[in-house]
Amino acid sequence: MIADFKSIYENRHNYAREWKERNNDHKIFGYMCTYMPEEILYAARVLPLRILGAHEPQNVSEPHILGMFCPFCRDVLAQGVLGRYDYLDAIGITHSCQHIHQAYESWVLHKKIKNFFIPTPNNHQTSRALPYLRGQLEIFKEQIEEWTGSEIGDEDLLRGIDIVDKTRMLMGAVYETRKSDIPSISGLDSMYMVVASQMADKGEFNWILEEVLGSELPGRAAREDPGIRLMIIGSEDDDAGFVEMVEGFGASIVVDDHCTGSRYFWNVTEKEGDPLTRIAERYIKRPPCPIKDFPARNRVPHLIGLARDFDVAGVIVIQQKFCDPHELDKVAVTKALEAAGYPTLYLEFDVTVPLGPFRIRVEAFLEMLRSEALF
Amino acid sequence: MARYKMEPLRCWDKAKELRRSVYERVAKARENGKIIVAGGTESMLALPAGYDMEFLGGEPYAASCAFAGVQDPGVCREFFEAAENARYPRDLCAYMRIGVGSLLADKYLAGGSYPRPTFNLQTHICDTHGKWYQIMSDIENVPYNAIDYVPYAWETENESEPSKKLKRDYLVGQMLDVIEWMEKVTGQKYDDERFINAVNWECESTSLWAQCCMLNRTIPAVMDEKTMFSFYVIAVLMRQRKESVDFYTELLDELKDRQRRGIAACPDEQFRFVHDSQPPWFALDVFRYLERFGAVSVAAHYSIGLSGGWTYDPELDTWLPALPPKGAGVELRTRQEACEWYAEWLLAYHTMLRSLRWSGRGKNKRILDIVKKWNADGMIIHLNRGCEGTAVGQMELHRFMNDQGIPCMTYEGNVADSREFDRERTIAKIETFMETLGRKKLY
Amino acid sequence: MVTAGMDVGARTVKIVILRDQRIVGKGVATAGLEADRAAEKAWEEALKEAGISKADISKVFATGSRRGEVGGFDDEVSEVVADGRAINKVNPEIRTVLDVGAEEGRAIKINSEGRVLEFAVNDKCAAGAGAFIEAMARAMQVSTEEFGALSLQSVKTIPINAQCVIFAESEVVSLVHEETDRADICKAIDDAISDRLTSMARRVQVQPGVALVGGAARGVGLQRSLTTGLQLDELFVPDDPEFVGAYGAAVIAAET
Repeated sequence: MIADFKSIYENRHNYAREWKERNNDHKIFGYMCTYMPEEILYAARVLPLRILGAHEPQNVSEPHILGMFCPFCRDVLAQGVLGRYDYLDAIGITHSCQHIHQAYESWVLHKKIKNFFIPTPNNHQTSRALPYLRGQLEIFKEQIEEWTGSEIGDEDLLRGIDIVDKTRMLMGAVYETRKSDIPSISGLDSMYMVVASQMADKGEFNWILEEVLGSELPGRAAREDPGIRLMIIGSEDDDAGFVEMVEGFGASIVVDDHCTGSRYFWNVTEKEGDPLTRIAERYIKRPPCPIKDFPARNRVPHLIGLARDFDVAGVIVIQQKFCDPHELDKVAVTKALEAAGYPTLYLEFDVTVPLGPFRIRVEAFLEMLRSEALF
Repeated sequence: MARYKMEPLRCWDKAKELRRSVYERVAKARENGKIIVAGGTESMLALPAGYDMEFLGGEPYAASCAFAGVQDPGVCREFFEAAENARYPRDLCAYMRIGVGSLLADKYLAGGSYPRPTFNLQTHICDTHGKWYQIMSDIENVPYNAIDYVPYAWETENESEPSKKLKRDYLVGQMLDVIEWMEKVTGQKYDDERFINAVNWECESTSLWAQCCMLNRTIPAVMDEKTMFSFYVIAVLMRQRKESVDFYTELLDELKDRQRRGIAACPDEQFRFVHDSQPPWFALDVFRYLERFGAVSVAAHYSIGLSGGWTYDPELDTWLPALPPKGAGVELRTRQEACEWYAEWLLAYHTMLRSLRWSGRGKNKRILDIVKKWNADGMIIHLNRGCEGTAVGQMELHRFMNDQGIPCMTYEGNVADSREFDRERTIAKIETFMETLGRKKLY
Repeated sequence: MVTAGMDVGARTVKIVILRDQRIVGKGVATAGLEADRAAEKAWEEALKEAGISKADISKVFATGSRRGEVGGFDDEVSEVVADGRAINKVNPEIRTVLDVGAEEGRAIKINSEGRVLEFAVNDKCAAGAGAFIEAMARAMQVSTEEFGALSLQSVKTIPINAQCVIFAESEVVSLVHEETDRADICKAIDDAISDRLTSMARRVQVQPGVALVGGAARGVGLQRSLTTGLQLDELFVPDDPEFVGAYGAAVIAAET
């Protein structure tokens, strides 16, 4: 049920430990970026779990990562240093941003844990990226085979694709319901849904999604009057407190573009080609993180499309403080959204968020949107 | 009385002239019938050299603005403000903000309006690079392309040969595509002979610079780092040109002569240290202040690596100057061969670019090798808020050095934004560090 | 032999006079914009207590960030080295010193002889310095003494992000508006400062025994937060912790 999403999110470590007890001959692989090809891990019957921060101030990351790097990467590393993820059998990362890569490097330096790095491409707009990525995924698959001691055949890869694609399609279907005039699920619960999917066995999670879609959402209204429809975009964001506050002001977040949101699951695996090529192509074609979006700006039309399809009145652009990839995009993105008729509000986050000052900004933004709606 | 003999460097004025000439040449490029290409200089300069072009490199341009900005805030502070007024956050790459700001203010360091390039071409060596020139191209409305660069892993990671081949093929493929793209946007045929010459010269320049840096292992050092900045930048700006090869050939001879005769860069050299990251360009006098303690920076991964071609020798477990094609007995005859050689040169021999992405074990080891081989007594790390690439892994590096028994201090600053640098505090830290090492000021 | 140490800090000037290694006089004055005037006042107080004149003093060593603004000393030492020597004199078991000055926090690792092995300073950040504590006390509308007493009354943990003092102050204002108990807010602030100091201390690899010095060391709430945060059996706070720098300079003057 919908309540399971929040429960998994808030009890992620207990969930993982219990899963391990139930599946004690299987491994858990913690990853730090959503470009990680989970399909290959599911094919190997390894459970991939995304490592996120705890939204608590911490005092252990400073000897490892300078404070000028984003709070998220320092929070992630802190979880490792504090031993909260000691049940992991391995950690892994793809070629992500320099911030989170440091969290990975420091984790590897200081914790004795099996580690995997896939040097994925950054430029997804070159035709050379696909064969390159396919080749690196082949190498990764062989490394996983060596680690688990089991071969991964095409049928295993297809099974992995099916599991992960099913999650994507089901979450996509949930997001579809948010297009309606009275969305059946709130922005907060949608956020919990996506991050929970990153922290759970997708095979099991898919049952919950099916149940929610089939039994809970039909006829449900997240709230009687959804109020102002908003889109929220930016970097990693699982700040439930903020989302809850916004929706408490008579607004509904009906769509997002975060790696803890729609960017994670928006497209499914391609249908043509061998399994590894299909997987590679899916990651090449997915809505890009800003550091993958050059030389042309493919993100902008995608974001405007989302705003239009979900009929939003305005967009909140939020990102982790010091997040270079999103800061580099924000001027072009906010300009384009505003030119397309979508006012924006820009906010910077830390691991804890001063709700007071943010409340003032959000209230003012909503008032502005309401007065625009009047005229 | 000074410990060592000192002499001015004969190549100093030549270096100055070469540096100056670059910006003037860009300003006059069109009237001289050349195209202007802009992008980061930490990229494949030889690639657009298939055209008769002048290259406006973002990083050295910004560094020059930062240096000049000490006297003239209009070429630095004003650029930052222009970028910030356009809503670019202040913690972004300082070089990028100067470039964007200079363009928005339509003001060029060498005078006149900011030169509009024929096209922008970038190599994506860090999170910022590919996006930086995307922004520039948006504003300038000129064609833009970017080459993705996924460096080889450090030797500590035991990267497989198939992975390296994939990276090489990926880079070569993109280079070939970009050549076709350049033909399309310019409407001009690409000159493979010019390209092959440029690849040869780039490799020779960077190999020669690495050989120059090797001479600094001598005690006393023949160059101090402040001087090295004036020399390495020739390769930064024009390593793909014959002038650069000629310059470094001459410099290498001069440095060998100084080494033979025991001429020192700093006559009071008593404490040798390795610096990390770019310096704060507006505060290079900090290096002179350190010399008052007899402390000389004899190397930095930044200054020896940014323009240096270094190859890893697994038997000796160290890095040595890489051999350019001619030195290796290789003749590059075709575009394909040149691209393949060039790709390998950048992927395997450019440890500075590798360290912008991959830190951890490999970067620590690389820098420890520098400290040991250059006979350094300590390390000073510039925690550089203006360049995240050079700042990755610095806290781990600090810990690693101290754990190795190598005295190591840090100071916070910014490569180009003086608002982020507290000179008094930095001087106080240096004094404290020297005091903890029992070093007093000599003068 | 009579020596003296002068610590010209961001906010105050402290003087310590030693005769044969014993403290015989101390003086303190608010520095304001004219540190030399404050130094005169502090000298007056210290000399009066010691019952001597300046001419009786063999050597004066100065420390502190503003020592360049005053005269009347024979040599200078950094705050870091002065702290290390001072604490070693007072308690030779100490290996890590945390100094919370008005504008700078420092973590210092020393060996058994008080020699500094490593140090870390909170660059460009007030969140680990006395100025932060004062700002928070103002936000709570209490004196710094009352602040500590209130903090000790609380056993709750409310996270405040203390990376930036501006953000932290915003969070405190939010908590006040939410009618959070004042004692809990004071403890939250002490925990936040402790976190900043702990972060910095970890850069030099905290080793037991740990000492806390500087004016802010008197904060009983901060003492508790640090003891908990660093998981210490004991946190050593010397008598008159704000005089540690001046004492260290005087000791070094005597030993030189």
